[in-house]
Amino acid sequence: MSTHLTKALEFANYRVTLNNQQSQLKAKTQSLLSYSINGGTFTIDVSLINFCKNLVEEKQESVVLLDIYKNPIKIDVASFYEEIRSRYFEVTNEYFIEYEKLRKARKVHKVLDLNEKGE
Amino acid sequence: MKRENNRGFLMFAHNNEEIDYMKLAVINALLIQRHLKIKNITVVTDPHSLKHAEKTLGKKLIKKAINNLVIVEKDKKFKEKNIRLYKDTSHSAKSLPFYNANRCDAYDISPYEETILIDVDYLILSDVLNQCWGHNNEFMMNWKFQDIMYERKDLSLNRLHDMGITMYWATVVYFRKTDYVKDLFECVKHVRNNQQYYRDIYKWPGNLYRNDYSFSIAAHMMSGFTDKGIPQLPTTLYKSFDTDNIHKAIDDKTIIMFLEKPKSPGDFMLTKWEGLDLHIMNKWAINRASKELLSYVDI
Repeated sequence: MSTHLTKALEFANYRVTLNNQQSQLKAKTQSLLSYSINGGTFTIDVSLINFCKNLVEEKQESVVLLDIYKNPIKIDVASFYEEIRSRYFEVTNEYFIEYEKLRKARKVHKVLDLNEKGE
Repeated sequence: MKRENNRGFLMFAHNNEEIDYMKLAVINALLIQRHLKIKNITVVTDPHSLKHAEKTLGKKLIKKAINNLVIVEKDKKFKEKNIRLYKDTSHSAKSLPFYNANRCDAYDISPYEETILIDVDYLILSDVLNQCWGHNNEFMMNWKFQDIMYERKDLSLNRLHDMGITMYWATVVYFRKTDYVKDLFECVKHVRNNQQYYRDIYKWPGNLYRNDYSFSIAAHMMSGFTDKGIPQLPTTLYKSFDTDNIHKAIDDKTIIMFLEKPKSPGDFMLTKWEGLDLHIMNKWAINRASKELLSYVDI
């Protein structure tokens, strides 16, 4: 096999590994952005954070929100807002760090955080 | 009694000639304690599997991992009849008895008000399942799953039959003790006891009895014969398959896996799986990594 072809296959293998690892990172982030409270479950995203911020500014204390199952869940606005806001940044900051690590990795073993022997 | 004391995990572990399910249950119980901080763990097993585990792992470790052991006798006729093809990657396959007859008794066996029933090979590598406790939904299980080899798609796993009902995965089931849930489990038992009848109606493939089938049928019936009528868990079900393998466990929440490439069977790519629970269907692979995994959780 020519050197060019070997290199191309190596690169293809690296891309497959990288793509899968990126998909996994995305999935992990999504999972961590799920928040359960008072018997309901919410997906934390910017629109939920913004909506809750408005409720806090309107001095609402307790409201009913629809969760991912479309069930009505009563929440305490201030504490809920604080919790989802801090979780959002905790998770996205971690995502950023891991994403940057992956972006800079140019070999399969670096994508996986292993040494060259695979250990 | 405090509400937390009424919450617990339930697993079933019945060995066959090759697979040490009891060892997997002990490892997973320690992982549950580590990540979910839950001590209430019930494992249903049989005298033979327990004896083997006591010999290989020791009574002390079993006691440390599992605080409630339920010993039952196996239905030998069922065991001899229910034969499954187990794979240790595409390179090795064996037909072995698959004893899963008593999972439908989970409701009666569970001593907890709230139970998370899991397969022993569903490794707990995070605390995400803690989101289930106190949920408004009294019964939850997933029909959606995500293969951790993202390119791989197997549409045959979505339904019991091409024209049939959606398949739920009984890998992880959350339930509370209510009349509705009791009836649902009675329905699962009815499917187990009348397999031929339900096989004809729902047309599940092959002769193997799987809890995924009986739970799916019960879910369909108990939601008023509607598709996807039972709510899913608030967590995603991540799966690897028996054609995949474990390279090594890095720590108590990270595993490096060999995943079989969809377009070239027998050829693998590596992936690092970290901080999310994972269903590892290659039982031999977990057994091979068991020493490493135990060294991280049995401290």
